[in-house]
Amino acid sequence: MKEILPEVEQWRKDGEKVVVATVVATRRSAPRPIGASLAIAESGKMCGSVSGGCVESDVFENAQEVFETGAPKLLTYGIEDDLAWSVGLPCGGEIDVFVEALE
Amino acid sequence: MSLIERLARLQESEERGVLFTCVEGDGVGTNVLVLESGERVGDGLDEAVAQFDELIRDGRNRLLSLEDGTKVFAEWYGPPPRVFVYGAVDTAEALCRGVKLLGWTAIVADARAKFATRERIPSADELIVEWPQEALARVQPDHQTAIVVLTHDDKFDEPALIGALETEAFYIGALGSRRNQEGRRERLLEAGVDEEKLDRIMGPCGLDIGADTQEETALSILAEILAVRAHREGGFLKHAKQRIHAEVD
Repeated sequence: MKEILPEVEQWRKDGEKVVVATVVATRRSAPRPIGASLAIAESGKMCGSVSGGCVESDVFENAQEVFETGAPKLLTYGIEDDLAWSVGLPCGGEIDVFVEALE
Repeated sequence: MSLIERLARLQESEERGVLFTCVEGDGVGTNVLVLESGERVGDGLDEAVAQFDELIRDGRNRLLSLEDGTKVFAEWYGPPPRVFVYGAVDTAEALCRGVKLLGWTAIVADARAKFATRERIPSADELIVEWPQEALARVQPDHQTAIVVLTHDDKFDEPALIGALETEAFYIGALGSRRNQEGRRERLLEAGVDEEKLDRIMGPCGLDIGADTQEETALSILAEILAVRAHREGGFLKHAKQRIHAEVD
C-alpha cells in the first residue's frame, strides 16, 4: 500500500471514503509483486494498480460491495478462475487480492 | 491518529515498520502496525507480530501462513537500503551510480581528503573524510546497510573490515585478489577476529561475470549485494529452480 499512501491520505483529508485492494500472493508469473495496490475512492477515483490493467475493473466492482458492507474480501484471479475469459491474467499466473475499507 | 495517518508519517520518516493485515481466517481485516521503535498501532495478530524481528531484517513484503490456517499479509515500510563504501577510488563512483539506479542511498568515506571529493565521487549522497572507525561510528550501519571496502590498502581496509564485522550489515564485501584475501584473513585472525565472523566477508566481492572495467566491477558487486539480500546464489535464471522474484517463497 505504500506507493499509494500519499494520494489516499489526500483523499481522506478531502472527506472521501477509500477502499484499498492489495496483491497479497502470486503464483507462477504475475504482472505485479505482492504489496502492489489499487485505491478506490467512493467518488470513483482510482490510483495505483494490482495487475497492470487486466483485473482492475473487476476489483472496482468488488470494491463497491466492500463500500456497502464494510466487510473485506479476498479475491483470486488467474487461469483456473471462471473469470479468466473476461478478466484473466495474460501471463498465465494467479494472484490473490485483498480488498478492504480503510477505517 | 488513524492508522493511515501514522503510515503516512512513517513513510516520511527514516523509521521502519511492518503493517500486518489479516487477509484470511479469524480476525480477517484486522490491521496492526509495529514500528522498530516498539510503537504499536492496533491490537491482535500476536502470532504474526511475533515474527517482526525476522520480517524487519528481511526488508520485503511477505504473506504469513499461521498454524491455525490464518493468513496475514506483512507489508514492510522503511527507507531504501544504504550502501556504505570505504575507499573513494574510481570504482566507488561507478558503484554509487549503480546504487542510485536501484533507488538506494550511497555513502562514501575515505581518510584521504584528496580522494573523497565531490569532483571525484559526484554520485555519492554523502561523502565523509574520516578513518574507518570514525566513519563507521557516524554512519551506524544496520541490517539494511551493505558495506563495501575498496581501498586496496591494508591500513584502511583492515580496520574497516574489523569495524564492519561489529555491525549488523547484511553484506560485507572487500575488493582484492584471492591471494590478498588469504593474507588479510590471516592478519584479521591475528588481530583477534573470530573465524566464524570472517565468513561474513565476501572477498573478492562480486558475482563471477568476468568484470573488467570499473562499471562492470560495480555491477558485479551490486548484483552480489542483491543476491545476498534475497538469499540467492546468483547465476543464470535459465538454470534456476526457484521462483524468479524474491518476494515469493
